[in-house]
Amino acid sequence: MVKDINGLMGRRVSRRGLLKGGAALGAAGVFPAIITRRSFAADTPTLVNSIRSLSNPYHATWNKGGEAFAKSVGADYVTLVTEGNSEKGVSDIRAILAKTGGNVVINVDPNDAPDARPIVEAVKEAGGYVITQWNKPEDLHPWDFDPNYVAHISFSGVPYGKAMAEALFKAMGGKGGIVALGGIQSNIPAIERKAGLDQALAENPDIKLLDFQVANWSDTEALEKTNAWLTQFGDEIGGIWAANDGMGLAAVEALRADGRAGQVPVTGIDGIQLAVEAILAGEMAGTVAWDPYWQGGMGLSIGYHAATGAFDPAKEPKDHREFYGTGVIITADNAQDYYDSNIKAEPELDWNDIWGRVSGQIQY
Amino acid sequence: MSPAAATPALSLAGIEKRFPGVHALKDVSIDIMPGEVVGLIGENGAGKSTLMKILSGVYQPDGGEIRLGGQPTRFMNAADANLQGIGMVFQEQSLLTNLSVGENIYLGTEAAFTRFGMIDWKALNAAASRQLEKVEVDVDPRARTADLDFATRQMVELAKTLTLEDQAAGHLVILLDEPTSVLERAEIEILFSRVRALKSRASFIFVSHRLDEVLELSDRIYVMKDGAVVADLPAADANVTQLHQLMVGRSLQAEYYREGLQKPFQDEVVVEAEALSLGHDYRDVSFSLHAGEILGIAGVIGSGREELTRTLAGFAPHDRGKLRIGGKEVRFRTPAEAVDNGMGYIPRERRVEGLVLFLSVAANITLGNLRSLTRNGLIDNREERRLATRWVDRLNVKTPSIDALCLNLSGGNQQKVVLAKWLNAKAKVLILDHPTRGLDVGAKEEVYELVRAVTAEGVAVVLTSDTLEETIGLSHTVLVMRDGAITHRADARPGGKPTQVELIEHMV
Amino acid sequence: MTPSADAESPRASASPKSAMHRFRLASWAPVIVLVLLCAVIAVINPNFLSFGNFVRIAQAAMIPLVLGLGATFIILMGSIDLSVEGILTLSAVILSLLVLNGANGNDLGLLAIPLVLLVGAGVGFINGAVHVKLKVPSFMTTLGTWFIGVGVANALLGGTAVRINDKLVRALAISRDPLVGLPWGVWIAIFCFFVALVIQNYTRLGRYIYALGGGEDLAGLSGIRASRVRIMAFTLAGVFYAVGGILAAAQLGLGNSQIGLGRLFTTITAVVVGGTSLAGGSGSVQQTLVGVLVVVVLSNGMVLMGIPPSVQIGVQGLMIIAAVALSMDRKLVRIVK
Repeated sequence: MVKDINGLMGRRVSRRGLLKGGAALGAAGVFPAIITRRSFAADTPTLVNSIRSLSNPYHATWNKGGEAFAKSVGADYVTLVTEGNSEKGVSDIRAILAKTGGNVVINVDPNDAPDARPIVEAVKEAGGYVITQWNKPEDLHPWDFDPNYVAHISFSGVPYGKAMAEALFKAMGGKGGIVALGGIQSNIPAIERKAGLDQALAENPDIKLLDFQVANWSDTEALEKTNAWLTQFGDEIGGIWAANDGMGLAAVEALRADGRAGQVPVTGIDGIQLAVEAILAGEMAGTVAWDPYWQGGMGLSIGYHAATGAFDPAKEPKDHREFYGTGVIITADNAQDYYDSNIKAEPELDWNDIWGRVSGQIQY
Repeated sequence: MSPAAATPALSLAGIEKRFPGVHALKDVSIDIMPGEVVGLIGENGAGKSTLMKILSGVYQPDGGEIRLGGQPTRFMNAADANLQGIGMVFQEQSLLTNLSVGENIYLGTEAAFTRFGMIDWKALNAAASRQLEKVEVDVDPRARTADLDFATRQMVELAKTLTLEDQAAGHLVILLDEPTSVLERAEIEILFSRVRALKSRASFIFVSHRLDEVLELSDRIYVMKDGAVVADLPAADANVTQLHQLMVGRSLQAEYYREGLQKPFQDEVVVEAEALSLGHDYRDVSFSLHAGEILGIAGVIGSGREELTRTLAGFAPHDRGKLRIGGKEVRFRTPAEAVDNGMGYIPRERRVEGLVLFLSVAANITLGNLRSLTRNGLIDNREERRLATRWVDRLNVKTPSIDALCLNLSGGNQQKVVLAKWLNAKAKVLILDHPTRGLDVGAKEEVYELVRAVTAEGVAVVLTSDTLEETIGLSHTVLVMRDGAITHRADARPGGKPTQVELIEHMV
Repeated sequence: MTPSADAESPRASASPKSAMHRFRLASWAPVIVLVLLCAVIAVINPNFLSFGNFVRIAQAAMIPLVLGLGATFIILMGSIDLSVEGILTLSAVILSLLVLNGANGNDLGLLAIPLVLLVGAGVGFINGAVHVKLKVPSFMTTLGTWFIGVGVANALLGGTAVRINDKLVRALAISRDPLVGLPWGVWIAIFCFFVALVIQNYTRLGRYIYALGGGEDLAGLSGIRASRVRIMAFTLAGVFYAVGGILAAAQLGLGNSQIGLGRLFTTITAVVVGGTSLAGGSGSVQQTLVGVLVVVVLSNGMVLMGIPPSVQIGVQGLMIIAAVALSMDRKLVRIVK
């Protein structure tokens, strides 16, 4: 039965790939990610990760975490990819609910917040278990769908935006001027991270924000904005805060072309490999890893524990139902450790420590 | 001129061409002697264009033989025909307006000026200058073609064609396909004198709808009808009436303009102009146009008649004087305002202004009056088809169906569709701006008949025409303009039509 | 082609001797805009005129310029090329995988560059061949190759970014010549510009591209093999985009499948702002150079002038409309679609 599902999914995904990119190779890149594991016990729930795509490092790592957890409990594992298409995301989940008869745990990063509702409703109806991450409507709560809607996990940008600002200020010696690169202006993580920066600035009067520019998460734009700043402010720039690693790395390249890479500290957020390497090279001062490996594996683990009766979601406190996860702050101090244990090697997590990274109930 | 005495430069012997359902050319034989200008006339559909396409290598004949200087040959494509000495000057000009004159002249043959893949512009432009000298045109080869007037462009085309002299082995034969349709009289004179001067270099085949011009320029005339040559006669022995008779198989007479159908107009004044003026274009123009009246406006370029027409159609609002439609004073700032007041404009450039070529016949007919077809915001398709069918029947539009794209209709039928559009929009006044330009005799006659029919129903017509003859023949009243003012009004009732001479003296 | 518009005033301009060839007053409008823009920015922030900033503008302009050169040829034909980002991304990713990098053991060094140019030419050729032979509109063909290019890049990388460790390749963007002090990448872009200029003005391909844009049917009557010209033009454009990909990878020091993001918009904007008509037939690579500078100087200048980020994108939009409106010869255009 499981084979059938995966055959179905595989065909669907590859056809999508062809339609979208017309790229046989692109499709081939997606195809092998649909991985099956034969279970020993037929009543073990099938574990499903539904994510945007496998072509970005973030979700690719997410998928690895899911795989690792499924292996640890010996369950079937399925990856669904939305490719940025909400309808596809929802209908693929409906298909897997039908095929498994509801004996399923779904860990989903909904393509868009409104998608969460039909997904949760479909899972509830089929009797499966679902965990959502990042996106959901504010008025959709796990406790309204006991016990099937186990939890919603998100990350607050504010404390990490602030933590990075503080790491930056520290690297600058506590005083001087900085410039800051923001993400898309209307994007919630971009707004939260900027709010964290503002808090840190308010607490550190010796640091002056020379300019804030929106670079729309784009490497190219970040490079150009940083170039213009180098003209405008020259040596006044003591540090650069970027709302994500891609823009931060672009700022490092602009500095490099100016002969100043490594002299002006730069921070990012997201914890991508190149950023960690830049920290090791002394060109960046910090980043925050959301640990998608944890998100992909632990999301399933929480659902799995609920599905197998290890805990009853209805009896858990609200801060276990809608909670902020914990990011890993990486600076020069711990970069080598993080690199060795998370990038060079497959991370080792205790999948039973399901509430270990709860940092408070989500506030709306 | 005795064809037996010399070898023809180009000779077609028994050319046959069939298309599905059509026998387009039937045993067509034509000889062109070196240095001769041969006129080729015939109604649309007589086979002229098919013949020209065979000569220019676009079509291959199904039977018969083409001989160049006595030797049988074939033209594989346009470039091949060029290489063998067949040049073409097209009605729809083939120059690229975004390129310079020199670039146009040597377009496709730059190889002669290319060294190591780089074009030597100096040499190319110098050569282009020499070509332009051949046609006696004083143009900088670096000038942009878009900046030239049409007559000069025709000369440039001719110069371009003459570059074949240097490439083609044999004698040049140049096809002139309706070269005068966009030219004014003075420009035509220049073109003709150049063609005559070039007879030592080339032979010409001159295709035109204007029989007087064919008579004027040609040495010999071939008349085609229904895909066959029906006559071959020296121009010196021919006259317009005779040629017309040969083309249509019936004689040309006063009935040509359907004067017998000209009915007295009604008393109701539809349009009244009182001391109408627009800048330097025209001034103090006054007239009354009655229901059922055809008002012809005669005048040379610069007389202001074109501008006056444009004012009535809403393209150029007048700045002084009064214009009344049905007694109400109006000033059209846009064509839409003119339409709202019952003016229907039938432009000379049907392809551009009068029709949406990529819409069906039905859609074009109802375009001007869609509002009356709209029910609850939606177009009533059944009613639209009913209306369109009625107009197609009534005006005898030759179209495979009302769903055919206007693109595929002949010029005369396109003109009928434009007319149908305005009649359907219940226009009270039709402004006919050179309505028969580019139409052949048969199609012209149909247009005249239509004009008579609509005036009989009380529609008033303002006419500016290509020929004075047409203006006189059709109109009830002729206004003559000169330098922006009306210099003469002539009554043109049947039987009492003014002569051309009478009018011309007021025009110049 | 607007024969009808000309017909409106057949005798309006009968002084051929005085008529300039391709460069006309309207096409100077972008230059005027550029000069004004520079003047205003320099008044508000004199740093704008510093040599350091000149270098940065040149650096920011080099990639859009190279891309714009390729796109100019396509737009001159009256076609459109949306595959800019696809070819650029693919080229950047392939380059990053062939030179010394953080993902595999390859180390082809500068030898990788001709290979990448070949890839660009290949994809461009496919654009042209599919467009011409299968008669697929260029819009759809190049939309397809855009996605294919990004898709293949994705498949090659599996979503990660590859760091380029090859010193020579990085030097393209970072090192400067000892005389003027411009990064080598800028010199490459300048070289590309002159190559494009020669192709445009002194080769038959350049001439035929204009002819096709002016009227393909008419060009055909002159014996021009339109399909061959189209295929060659798309191939040529592909090579330019590949150069853009090499420069982009060198500049950011990495290859990833998002490296092309937003490039198409900048490219088309620059070409159009320069005054090259989307209808084909008129324009030039010189005008594209001006268009690129307008776009780059504006975005550099807005930061220098301290214009709030929320206003910047609106200003860019206004600039596009203004530049096109200024450079248009409205006498020749009666119907606008």
